[in-house]
Amino acid sequence: MEFTALFLAIVVAMLVAWYGSRTLALSLFAAVLIGCVATFLHHATDALKLSF
Amino acid sequence: MTSQRAIALNVLALYALAALLAAAFAAQFILGELPCPLCLLQRIMFALLAIGPILNIRFGPRPSHYALSLLAAVVGAAVSTRQVLLHITPGDPGFGTALFGYHYYTWALIGFIAAIVLLSLVLLLDEQFEKDPAAYSAPDVIAHVAVWLVIGLTVANVASTLLECGFKACADDPVVYELLKR
Repeated sequence: MEFTALFLAIVVAMLVAWYGSRTLALSLFAAVLIGCVATFLHHATDALKLSF
Repeated sequence: MTSQRAIALNVLALYALAALLAAAFAAQFILGELPCPLCLLQRIMFALLAIGPILNIRFGPRPSHYALSLLAAVVGAAVSTRQVLLHITPGDPGFGTALFGYHYYTWALIGFIAAIVLLSLVLLLDEQFEKDPAAYSAPDVIAHVAVWLVIGLTVANVASTLLECGFKACADDPVVYELLKR
């Protein structure tokens, strides 16, 4: 569900970048980027097996 | 490099991103492999990378627009590096089918690093940032098609992700579209 929301938010940011105000597009970009980092940190919980 | 040439380069970048998103879809539907959460996040970072070029085409090239794409590429590289490290141990078959010897996430890491290098190189060309209103012209048909291609593919990803995950958290190793399950 969170990925659908992120894709949808990017579509909105793209449409604003193409038709709307630059400031709003930059703000939406920042919000989506923060959402992406939060989603990444939420999913990156498995321990990495790097000792071989 | 003039402002017009920089805009042409940004249009080309949008076509490259559209091709990449289309290739991911092709792998999903032709091979029947559903993308995992980290794979979806990498697609999202490629789509987010497209906002910088869209702003450059609409408002003219600015360092801040390139900075947006750089930020998206750095986060994308971090996500794909993590997935590469998850499957780095000997004997691990990796996630999904390999394409030309590399899995999708390895190709994604190569793509994000290439984007960081190319964006840094384009940022070195100061001439594109000189303000010359006479040199600016409205986006042409090729630019409009590039923008709408990327927007269309991102909308397709909204639909595909909704079908795959439904209205709950995505499975770590998805094998079935949740909304099509009987």
